[in-house]
Amino acid sequence: MFEPLQEPFMQRAIAEMTLLAIAGGALGCWVVLYEVSYAAESLAHSIFPGLVLAAIAGIPLLLGATPAIVLAALAIALAARLPGVSRDVGVAVVVTTMFGLGVLLALSPQSPPGIETLLFGDILGPSDGDLISAAALVVLLGVALFLLHGRLLATGFDRGGARALGLSPAFADAALLILLAAGIVVAVQGLGNLLVVAVFVGPAAAARNLTDRIGPMIAVAVAIAVLSGLAGLYLSYYVGTAGGASVALAIVVAYLLSLPLGLIRPNRGRLNLAAGYDH
Amino acid sequence: MSSEALIEASGLAVSYGGPPAVTDVSFRLRAGERLALLGPNGGGKTTILRAVLGELRPLAGTLRVDASCGSVPQTERSRLDYPVSALEVATMGALSRLPWWRRPGRDDRRRARTALGRVGLEDLAAETFGELSGGQRQRVLIARALVQDARVLLMDEPFTGLDRPAADRLEVLIANLAAEGHAIVMATHDLEQAQSWDSVLCVNRRQIAIGAPRQTLDREVLEATYGGAIVEIPGGGGRAILPPQHQH
Amino acid sequence: MQRGLLEVLILAVPAGLLGTWIVLRGLAFFSHAVGTAAFPGLVLADGLGFAAPLGAFAAAILFTAGNAALGRGREEGRDSVVALVLVGCLAAGVILASDVFGSGANVETLLFGSLLLIDGSDIVLAAIAAVATLVASGLVGGRWLAHGFDPGAGQVSRWERRLLDALLLGLIALATTATLSVVGALLVSSLFVVPAATVRLFAKRMASWQLASVLLVAAEGTVGLWLSVKTDAPPGATIACVAGAIFALAALARALSRVPRGAVAVAAAAVVLALLAAGCGSSGSGSDGKLDVVATTTQIGDWVREVGGGAVSVDQVLQPNTDPHEYEPRPSDVEAAASAKLVFANGDNLDSWIGQIVSDGGSDAEIVDLGAAVPERLPGESSGAEASKHDPHWWHDPRNAEAAVREIARKLAAADPSKKRLFERNGAAYLAKLRTLDAGIAGCIDTIPVSQRKLVTDHDAFGYFANRYGIDVIGAVIPSQTTQAQPSAKDVSELIGLIEREGVKAVFPESSLSAKVADAIARQTGASADYTLYGDTLGPADSDGATYLGMEAANADAMVRGFSDGRHGCHLKP
Repeated sequence: MFEPLQEPFMQRAIAEMTLLAIAGGALGCWVVLYEVSYAAESLAHSIFPGLVLAAIAGIPLLLGATPAIVLAALAIALAARLPGVSRDVGVAVVVTTMFGLGVLLALSPQSPPGIETLLFGDILGPSDGDLISAAALVVLLGVALFLLHGRLLATGFDRGGARALGLSPAFADAALLILLAAGIVVAVQGLGNLLVVAVFVGPAAAARNLTDRIGPMIAVAVAIAVLSGLAGLYLSYYVGTAGGASVALAIVVAYLLSLPLGLIRPNRGRLNLAAGYDH
Repeated sequence: MSSEALIEASGLAVSYGGPPAVTDVSFRLRAGERLALLGPNGGGKTTILRAVLGELRPLAGTLRVDASCGSVPQTERSRLDYPVSALEVATMGALSRLPWWRRPGRDDRRRARTALGRVGLEDLAAETFGELSGGQRQRVLIARALVQDARVLLMDEPFTGLDRPAADRLEVLIANLAAEGHAIVMATHDLEQAQSWDSVLCVNRRQIAIGAPRQTLDREVLEATYGGAIVEIPGGGGRAILPPQHQH
Repeated sequence: MQRGLLEVLILAVPAGLLGTWIVLRGLAFFSHAVGTAAFPGLVLADGLGFAAPLGAFAAAILFTAGNAALGRGREEGRDSVVALVLVGCLAAGVILASDVFGSGANVETLLFGSLLLIDGSDIVLAAIAAVATLVASGLVGGRWLAHGFDPGAGQVSRWERRLLDALLLGLIALATTATLSVVGALLVSSLFVVPAATVRLFAKRMASWQLASVLLVAAEGTVGLWLSVKTDAPPGATIACVAGAIFALAALARALSRVPRGAVAVAAAAVVLALLAAGCGSSGSGSDGKLDVVATTTQIGDWVREVGGGAVSVDQVLQPNTDPHEYEPRPSDVEAAASAKLVFANGDNLDSWIGQIVSDGGSDAEIVDLGAAVPERLPGESSGAEASKHDPHWWHDPRNAEAAVREIARKLAAADPSKKRLFERNGAAYLAKLRTLDAGIAGCIDTIPVSQRKLVTDHDAFGYFANRYGIDVIGAVIPSQTTQAQPSAKDVSELIGLIEREGVKAVFPESSLSAKVADAIARQTGASADYTLYGDTLGPADSDGATYLGMEAANADAMVRGFSDGRHGCHLKP
């Protein structure tokens, strides 16, 4: 039971996983409520041109990745204001273009080899930089989500009403996308792309099935994220399955378990009978 | 009651980015006044509300809004699956007074409780918003506008889907709020509802008429507004409208 | 090339038509995810040896069904369901690749796509998708529109509506699968979403929107394809950039004012022309009577240049530091293959794509499998996409390099008998260098006691090197011959135990791979991870590993430094 905890590499993996689980669980609640899972899944690819340019210019990669992903987040928020263009379409347009641009830039002879592997990390080998930036992310998200809580809640609840309250829905959207971008740029180095979307969507979606208040939802999401992270790493340790994929599977299982548990909760099930894909 | 107008529109035209959705809108809204925007679906009622909220820019004409406006949107299709309690929704109203780094505090929550009491929902403060009935949800949103200190309440089809007792309670609440000096603008397609309000603005892509319901709502105006069949109800002297767009 | 164009033009029909429904019904995430979710199907197809498109389509259908089951009856949170089903699919794919089949190599090509490796079955698949989409649009397009406009309206029964939705999602799954081979899963949106969204900015009616979308997909696909040929860039990325640029311009025009549509068309045409003009800069080169030869890998290219000298013009397909497992063919390679007399390949399933490149170029060049000519063979993977009888990394044994160089000299001489003496002289000189290298490495490694020659690397490309010089390969961080798989915590833990028991002093991350897990192991065991090895390819021009001789000398030096705790290395002059 405690054997994995005595291995230094597992301690580091668990520390990284736990830090990012806290960040992912909390921010994930807003990802789920604002329905920006597509952005959470795809924004990571928009880092690519920034990584290549930073590598060519010889500056630290995070200095290239961060402006690229923030630019992508803002471009998505901007594109979504066009008539007939939903936010998801904005994500598709911006991310596809930026990823294609990155692939083309990477053809440059100055571009260092294997740069596409920088898009991904491995949960079993977080560097000191990964751990520090994950801790910084938790602090940043903690402060930002605490301060913006009321605004995010009011805007997500009713955009017209939020405007009447003097809040700007565009500000809330942009703030959320930028926080998500910050989360992704840090998390993708430690977790890899697959795990980022798992951590930023799964625990919160499961928590949504189990709770009907935002406060408990955030707490439950963080708990689910941390526990599934541990469960996945233990599975990988004892059964020998791929590290990142095991955590991702644990999160999916947690979500599947939340479905029947959510149904037996009182007062549930009479809502949302309307079907349809459009919002 | 002050005669100073809280909202004044003259020759207003508004669009969603294309051709104007509604034109020639002129009205003055005073404190304590209840104004019903009457018209068919797609006639421009909600467009006017959104222009007043500042969501849509005037294409032409002027629109002066001198009071804080609270929005009471339709709740039928909005976020019923949103994880908030009635109290949390009402507390949102405090955000309008707070700078962006401040969270609503204990005082704000106390005000929200008071407002919920004002609309008769103190017992349901801890209920999930989406699990309340339609009338209760309308009243929670009114409480939010009260916490906001809104002088004008903009209500979009507030009576749609309410049963008789719920509609009556809402009608009484609105009358009380008006008596306290709130101005209320309601978008509705329901002629019956509009009859009892202070004034009515008929709109169908353009303003047809404005004035007190008794004087304004004659056959000619109604036909211009709805363009549909008007059925005389024998005996009662009332009229019902069967607008072709409306099939609920 | 014509095949690529044909494929794009056929795909324009389903991509344009379905694109409008994707934009209208908010299915952008679904259409992106359904392509990516094909991953486990591709791994299974690779592992069990059936057709890749079949596996991809089956996985896409399962993904669609999973979404339908979990997302049923909810209006909000559909996107999180899509994300979670996608995560489930990808995680299953990674576990299949890492722990069941121990491989998943050719999968990455399909995640990134390659217009130039399209075969007949891809065109058939695209045609099926096109016909199915056309028929379905004709039959139920009006119903899709009505439902999309007002899902609550009761014109259709619940079952009928579900059927209509399932049909739309199924068609998207089919068409996306057909597109995977062209632009790859990560860029599917460049054909399915971006053009339709561009037209959406101006279209007022469904019919004109759909027609214009189909035309725009065809135009952007053609221009992107043509640019990619001219600039030697991957077609998927080029199409994505063209589509993105045109969208940006259209959005700008739309946002700035009520620009007449003609002006937008002119602006778009101007951009396309500018891009075309930019693309015209590069063009092919003549070879001045030299013998045209294609070499697949960097080391083979190096050998052929050494042997051929000034009499041979070499097109080397793989470039330094690119992973052969992630290779995407460039149009210039197909052109080079078309004019080549000889193609030298590594064999053993490392570069099996060369066959298609040669046949695509319509060439009758002889493909020389050098792997078949070398004397020292080690067993390879028994299953998976890279299954082969022999370990393909045979060049790390200089004796194999000697045999390969002799074979190259013989084939070059046969192809151009007039230069026979030149080739023989060059070959003999190089063989002497190879023997000196071999002896030098052996001598240097002999300075290390046998018990300390313990190699831990994150890519087991070094079996032949180890076999030649009596080095004990005690573990690889990634326990397979590919770069796709993920390690498990158990693997890492066991390897750490092994390193500690055996007293290993260094672990060797391969130079072209990210080395996070190797670093983690080094950190815990106290072994050094500062030495890198050249595994699959030579290094870039200014590095120690720029030539074959330099690469092997650098590897020997790094290993000896690692084994001796940094006390000494090998100073071999290549």
